[in-house]
Amino acid sequence: MIQQIKLVGLDFGSTTCSAVVAGARLYEDRLSGRRELGEVTPLYRSELAFTPLAHQPNEPDELIDLEAVARLLDGWLAAGGVQGPELFGGGALITGLCAGKANAARLAELLRARLGEAVIATADDPCLESLVAFLGSCAALSRAEPQTPFLNLDLGGGTTNLALGRAGEVLRTGCLRVGARHLRFVPGSYRLTGCSALGARLLAHLGITRQRGDELTRTEVDAVVDYLVTLLEAACSGQRAPLTTALGREFEQVELRLPAELPACTLVFSGGVGALIHARLRGPAAPPNTCYGDLGPHLAQRIIDSQLLRRPVRTDENAGRATVLGLLTGCTQVAGSSVFIARPDCLPLRDLPIVGRISLSASAAELTDALLLVRRSPRGGALRVTLPEPTPAALRTLGTRLHEVLQALAFPPTQPIVLLLADNLAKVLGGYITGWRPATFNLLVLDELTVGEARFVHLGRAHEQMIPVSLYGLQR
Amino acid sequence: MRPLPPLLAIPVPPPQPEDVYKLEVLGTRFSFHGLKRLLGAADCSKAGDRHAGLAAKSELEREAARTLLSGLTLGHLYQHPLTDDRGQVDAVMRVNYDIDLQRFAALAELTVGALKDHLLRAPPGELAQIGTALTGVMAAALVRLCDAHELVLLAQKLSRPTRARTLLGAPGTLSSRLQPNHPTDDPRGLTLLFYAGLAVGAGDALLGVNPAVDTVENVSAILHLLDKLRRRAGVPTQICCLGHIKTQLASLAQGAPVEIMFQSLAGTEATLTGEFDVTIELLDEAYRTMAARGPLGAAARQFMYFETGQGSEFTYGRHHGIDMSTCEALSYGLCRRYDPFMVNNVTGFIGPETHLDNFEMVLSNLQDHFLGKLLGLPMGMAPCYTLHSHITLEGQQMATALLTAAGANYYMDVHLNGDRMLAYFDTSGHDVQTLREVHGRRPAAEYLQWALGRGIFRETADGAIERGPAWGDLGQFLSPAELPVLLAATPAMYGFATAGPRAADGVSRRARLNQAAARDAIYKELDVAQLQAVAPFRLVRTAAGSKEAHLHSPALGARLARECELAPEGLPVQLVVSDGLSAAAVHHNLGELVPVLLDGLRGQGLACGQPILAPYGRVKLAEPLAERLDAELIVYLIGERPGGDALSACSLSAYLVYRLKSPTARAQAARFSGNPDIRFEYSVLSNIYASGVPPLEAGAILLEKIADILHYQAAGNRLEACRAAGCGGRPAPASL
Repeated sequence: MIQQIKLVGLDFGSTTCSAVVAGARLYEDRLSGRRELGEVTPLYRSELAFTPLAHQPNEPDELIDLEAVARLLDGWLAAGGVQGPELFGGGALITGLCAGKANAARLAELLRARLGEAVIATADDPCLESLVAFLGSCAALSRAEPQTPFLNLDLGGGTTNLALGRAGEVLRTGCLRVGARHLRFVPGSYRLTGCSALGARLLAHLGITRQRGDELTRTEVDAVVDYLVTLLEAACSGQRAPLTTALGREFEQVELRLPAELPACTLVFSGGVGALIHARLRGPAAPPNTCYGDLGPHLAQRIIDSQLLRRPVRTDENAGRATVLGLLTGCTQVAGSSVFIARPDCLPLRDLPIVGRISLSASAAELTDALLLVRRSPRGGALRVTLPEPTPAALRTLGTRLHEVLQALAFPPTQPIVLLLADNLAKVLGGYITGWRPATFNLLVLDELTVGEARFVHLGRAHEQMIPVSLYGLQR
Repeated sequence: MRPLPPLLAIPVPPPQPEDVYKLEVLGTRFSFHGLKRLLGAADCSKAGDRHAGLAAKSELEREAARTLLSGLTLGHLYQHPLTDDRGQVDAVMRVNYDIDLQRFAALAELTVGALKDHLLRAPPGELAQIGTALTGVMAAALVRLCDAHELVLLAQKLSRPTRARTLLGAPGTLSSRLQPNHPTDDPRGLTLLFYAGLAVGAGDALLGVNPAVDTVENVSAILHLLDKLRRRAGVPTQICCLGHIKTQLASLAQGAPVEIMFQSLAGTEATLTGEFDVTIELLDEAYRTMAARGPLGAAARQFMYFETGQGSEFTYGRHHGIDMSTCEALSYGLCRRYDPFMVNNVTGFIGPETHLDNFEMVLSNLQDHFLGKLLGLPMGMAPCYTLHSHITLEGQQMATALLTAAGANYYMDVHLNGDRMLAYFDTSGHDVQTLREVHGRRPAAEYLQWALGRGIFRETADGAIERGPAWGDLGQFLSPAELPVLLAATPAMYGFATAGPRAADGVSRRARLNQAAARDAIYKELDVAQLQAVAPFRLVRTAAGSKEAHLHSPALGARLARECELAPEGLPVQLVVSDGLSAAAVHHNLGELVPVLLDGLRGQGLACGQPILAPYGRVKLAEPLAERLDAELIVYLIGERPGGDALSACSLSAYLVYRLKSPTARAQAARFSGNPDIRFEYSVLSNIYASGVPPLEAGAILLEKIADILHYQAAGNRLEACRAAGCGGRPAPASL
């Protein structure tokens, strides 16, 4: 069985924002019942727009212009031919400096309200950003060359999201606050129009005492860019000294923990600066300038001249849109066909915290500890369940224990208890937990999911018996 | 467009009382009651005819029958139409009488033996003309007198080219029908197998997919996919999705590109209508619709595609005492009415109950090919087999060597021989190219030009066609990034490396090793001691006394042994386990599935009889067991027919066989099905194994279905209808 669905991806970054609306096929493998998204085909790609920012009275920093965002969003959705409720999934990320704006949370609320329940919208989720950038930039390349480790650097205005992956799967993520827009200029000149707090500290660290309205020298610009690229080299090489200084620690939002025994990996650049790197690698380019009002072209050229480029580099035509493309599939999974849901009318369930992990051999005390965390979350919660080499006897024991603990903790009949499994065992585990009788708890067991290190789960309403599952808030 | 005479306008002599044909040979008297018996005895011995009691008991009896048949005139055969079980001429037989009566008048006094001699002496053009004057029965009588050389020689005199987007069957050509079937119609798998076929020069006859699900939505989706792929590759050929003819008509009405209209046909009306759900009127409608609205328009002189094969009438018990090859000839007489673009013969597809070994399969293929060509059909051949027969890849290859010499129009391209959806074995694109090289054949002209342009083929200075630099190169269609995505969605792929026109040895070895493992599983016996450790099974014997009997006579495994003593127990559920076609599947899954099942039944408070182990059982055994035990529902776990990879031999099916015990349920089921005699309804969960539905989870899924069936007192499609309508006495089960 194949269904056609629509997905949306939105990326609000430090400098630019964009949208992609895609059609996709929802496959159900009748042999295994496994469901997955495939053949994601962009139906509409918006032009890159500047992220709408505006000064508000009594606000020291620029804020996101929510009214302008709403207008942009309406235009994108209309051009993509979608209505909010018909979307199956996708995601909206508010990233980089935009995520640091005081009203970033209100932007997330606006997006949720406009896009419906199927789409997650989250701000400042750097590891999720790294993951989706990898998926959008080089997952296909990585699957094609499964033996080669790929390190994707998604370089934007405020951050660089790093993700190491192999065979299409992301292994490690990290994030540096290295971006083109920590210093802003009058386009085509080095006259400073503004800088982020971190940008200001960097200028001070380098002994540059320029204020807004001052013109930086080329030497000063080079010093700034050198510093930023040194941090990138440190993160990618594992030679971490520059990142362990006081200022270096401020630039490192999430450490990229490289495996000890890692063969040389191939670099892929994405993001706005990544696109500039590709443009420069493809052919002759003019000397870098500040035509975009930031350090993007300088960063791009400096990276090309750096130690980083001594590694193999692959290019990707979607470089500038990696995050938004990755959002199309990276945020939404489909639960297996044989899930256990005691009260189907409880869907959708939004933003449930994933509070713990239980295993096949968990003791009653361990199960109590884990379920207590769920019990204490008023809107319910989720647990990861690992079931290595399950047998009927082991499942029977685990189910019976869980049943006893659930009864002992007196769960209200409506409080959702979500168990997330990787293996196709939802119905049998649900059966053993309930003793194969009608459930007295609001128990949901969902399987065939890659939960990873996500901290939140969002369950959409069943769509032709298929339940979209979004996982986000990847742990740092 | 060929005119379609109304059925009642076709003159058919009235049925005659049966003659008795007698012959004494060296003191032994042979007598055959009726033409059907004589035809059956005169053919070479084949499993289906033996099971039907039609085959001769000895070579002497067979030759006696042939001698008698040789002396009958065509006029005698004309005057004795074969009848159905009610003694009437059915619609298929009637269509067979739509012949050139003027030409027949000149032949009527010829005996069958004289006809054979005449054809052997005649120039090629005359054979085709004579074919228009023959009914299927006359042609069937003729082939019984032909040995292998004669079947090849006579067929080789007949050329039946047809025209759609390509010209198929022109002299000097050998084409292929690319069959990129996928078990779930996954577009990624279809796409990969499509390009793998094009890369080896296959698909000039047709790009055709047998759909796993025969719905208008799915058939249309497959057609649109094939159309898109064909256009993207720019390859001049035609596409088809082999759904039911009603489904294709509905798809065509919705604008789907039904370039070629497909249907399976049979040689008796009872099979055609009762089993294939097709009438002559429906076929007429499809033909007229395609002539008026087929997407290829006037570019296509022909646009119908039929599949046939000896044995379907016997398998369905609707052969009316007519042997397999005569039924096949009658089927061709029906195909002829619609001047088809192609006819594909899949003799060997059904299994050992119709064709046991290589000899039976090869000879039937040679007969069918000549029969079809003589009756005016563009014959493509698919000598094929299932793993529970004794037919082998080498036997299949010998068949193609002879059939190519005889002038077959095309073969199938099933990648590496194993069909991933239908679990049978057919020819491959490598086979087609090998035969082209051995016999000096080339693809259809339009396709060849395209393939020359791509470097798949190249033309030598002396005009010969040989493999080009791009032959076998999948990279010309797929990027390195796309290939692994498509491969991940496609089972039983063992590599694309080639050696000359063949798959490279490493690829062949992997394919054959998997096939051997799957075949091995069929012959494994159930390990009763191992299974007794899973649950306290009681042993029940079927009428099949041995593995061979079980494999070759499906009916035996559906009956209880005479000595079987089972008393009514009146319990709602009974668990039954049989090896079916794979004991390995039972061994692989039972240890996890049965404990979950028994735990769940206990938890739900459903009483279950002591589990039964029935070696050599078939699914239909559930019915006598349910009756004997007075059980409401039989949960029947049984090994599936293994396909082409070793893993698939571990695949188990679970049939939930609901006995319509209550008069109300029975009346509702009769209304729903249109079958007033219905006694059982079936639901099924397939593909239970580690790579499909894991057995632990399958146990839980079955428990939910069992609860549903007992709640709604319905199974199968009626259960789904009840669930959708929400009818029933208690609230629907809550879990999704």
